[in-house]
Amino acid sequence: MKIRRLFQKTRFGIFAVFGLIVLSTSILCIYTVDTQLSAEYEVNTQNIAKTIADSSAGILLNQNLATLQSLVDQFLEIQGIRYIYITSETGEFLAHTFVPGIPEEILQSDHASTEPVERSLPGMGDFIEVGSPILAGVAGTVHVGMDLDVVALKIQRAIGQQVYLICVILVLGVLASIWFVNLAAKPLADLLAYAVDLARDGETEDLAERDILVREDEVGDMARLFLHVARRGTRSGTPPAAEGVSAPE
Amino acid sequence: MNLEEGLEPDGGGSENWGPPVTRKSLMRGGLAALLVAPFTTSSLGAGGAQESDEEGTEASGRTESGGATDSEIVLGVSAAFSGPSRGLGAELYRGATAYFNHVNDNGGIEGRRISMKLYDDGYQPDPCVQNTMRLMLEDKVFLLFGYVGTPTVTRVLPILKKFQNESIFLFFPFTGAQPQREPPYGDFAFNLRASYNQETAGLVDNLVRIGKRRIAVFYQIDAYGRSGWAGVRAALDKHGERLAGEATYSRGEKFTGSMRKQVEILQGVSPDAVICIGAYAACAAFARDAVDLGLNVPIANLSFVGSENLLKLLTEGRDDTEKYTRLLINSQVVPSYEDTSIPAVREYRELMAQYDPQVPQELIQEEYAPFAHSFGSLEGFLNAKLLAEILRRLGPNPDRAGLEEAVFSVRDFDLGISEKVSFGADRRQGLQMVYHTVVEDGRFVPLDDWGARFA
Repeated sequence: MKIRRLFQKTRFGIFAVFGLIVLSTSILCIYTVDTQLSAEYEVNTQNIAKTIADSSAGILLNQNLATLQSLVDQFLEIQGIRYIYITSETGEFLAHTFVPGIPEEILQSDHASTEPVERSLPGMGDFIEVGSPILAGVAGTVHVGMDLDVVALKIQRAIGQQVYLICVILVLGVLASIWFVNLAAKPLADLLAYAVDLARDGETEDLAERDILVREDEVGDMARLFLHVARRGTRSGTPPAAEGVSAPE
Repeated sequence: MNLEEGLEPDGGGSENWGPPVTRKSLMRGGLAALLVAPFTTSSLGAGGAQESDEEGTEASGRTESGGATDSEIVLGVSAAFSGPSRGLGAELYRGATAYFNHVNDNGGIEGRRISMKLYDDGYQPDPCVQNTMRLMLEDKVFLLFGYVGTPTVTRVLPILKKFQNESIFLFFPFTGAQPQREPPYGDFAFNLRASYNQETAGLVDNLVRIGKRRIAVFYQIDAYGRSGWAGVRAALDKHGERLAGEATYSRGEKFTGSMRKQVEILQGVSPDAVICIGAYAACAAFARDAVDLGLNVPIANLSFVGSENLLKLLTEGRDDTEKYTRLLINSQVVPSYEDTSIPAVREYRELMAQYDPQVPQELIQEEYAPFAHSFGSLEGFLNAKLLAEILRRLGPNPDRAGLEEAVFSVRDFDLGISEKVSFGADRRQGLQMVYHTVVEDGRFVPLDDWGARFA
């Protein structure tokens, strides 16, 4: 017979509570990380576009397109930035990073627009493109394309790390709760074994000297009570005494 | 040079890099040294060992002044000696070395040998920047010389501006781009060759003249390609035309790569001619795929392409050697090395035969078979010849601070080609002429009649 059955519901309850915490925390975490990182990447991309726009104003006015291309190439080294193009105020492409050519979708787009837009370019992937005007748009516009796959991968990695941490805490919590329950159940199991021995053998010298009788907790009280009841049974007609047994509060 | 002549041991004045900058920069230089494989100094004397020369002069307590000691003048070179464009750096170096060997064997410049400290940048901007920092701050070269490429040089120019008080100049880079010819960096470089704007204008003008008005561009997607693209665009604009179309490739593309997508893009705009702004491996791949896909229009290349390497890729091992070359037009910034009526060409051929310079073994990562003669090595030769003249004009006490004045003193100088060289405060490019060549009998020859050839 296992006393631990007594705590099965408790264990299930603990597990359910932990599971609920993990689930809700994970959902919140996924939502928060996804939202915040997506926003952060978009803001970063906008900042990059603005930096290029600010840096390129003088270069554009001098029509130094080689330097402009060199500038663009350096920003392309930033992870996640997949393409950059700069158009003049008339929509002419003055510098870009497309190989083998400028995609048709981009050729057909509104080059003066600086609103973030999601693009799916054949053979290249999915992107979020942001723009920034050069000299308030009178000198042209910078457009920067951030690879959404790279962004998604980074978000997935960040979420994965957090969910992994939460899951580890869940497993450790469940294991700890099981350990605590077992810790609480063991004295009861000892008490049960003591009671069984008393019922089977009656009061013996061995049973009167068990360690459980010296415990100062409720289990010790119960053991002493069982011993008392057993003794009373052997002394017929004698009312039970409560020596050494304190009533539960 | 000796102490009696009044030069401080550390150089002093403008030749001193300055402690605050040097300390920081040396740390950066140290990092760069870890990042960039070190290459040893080239040997320029006839059979002379550069390393032993240096050790000997150090031991003798030489007077050093910003790359110029009493026994030598050290030039700093960062160029492409590896990668798909290694032929460009190799040929330029070989031509320059032939002339410097000749100078050294004839007493040097005021008794000083000219030596070159070489680093390989593989035609990549970041290594070129690191090499330049190292040349300036650790090697303390007298000047920078013979750099290769626009994407590399455009990244180095801001460094020269940063150290403008040290009068460090870049001489005769192998690029025709505008950034080192215009503000804000034009004051820190001297160019010998004609610009890409002049090359592209020459090509466009002639193509338009024979009725090829729809001109498309195939270009390397970097500062070099953009420089050429801008030149074609500007030249077309003068004729009231616009670019018919464009296709691009990434720097470092090999001949084995496919350019079919680029050809298909340009086929879509039905051009009358295509101007390529790239290096030989990619441009050869484009010419090959263009012919294979039926884009049979004149394909023009700029001087930077490396004509001999281009030709080799398109003809080597083929039965029909004209298949891919009959529609090629190559723009050049030096005269034909086949034209022995030109005194400088005769001298070049003689010294190339005499010294047969090779790229130092330490720099060779991939096999490269040099050409006996090439436009690249002739340009390197002319660069070296003019630089030696400028160094002579510095007099017995060479000082970086006097370099600009020495360059500006070059007026109508005869390099031995038909065009005289002049420099001035508003003229930082020595030569203006552009030559056009086509392939005949497996070699590049002058193109005299555009109409007869391509109309």
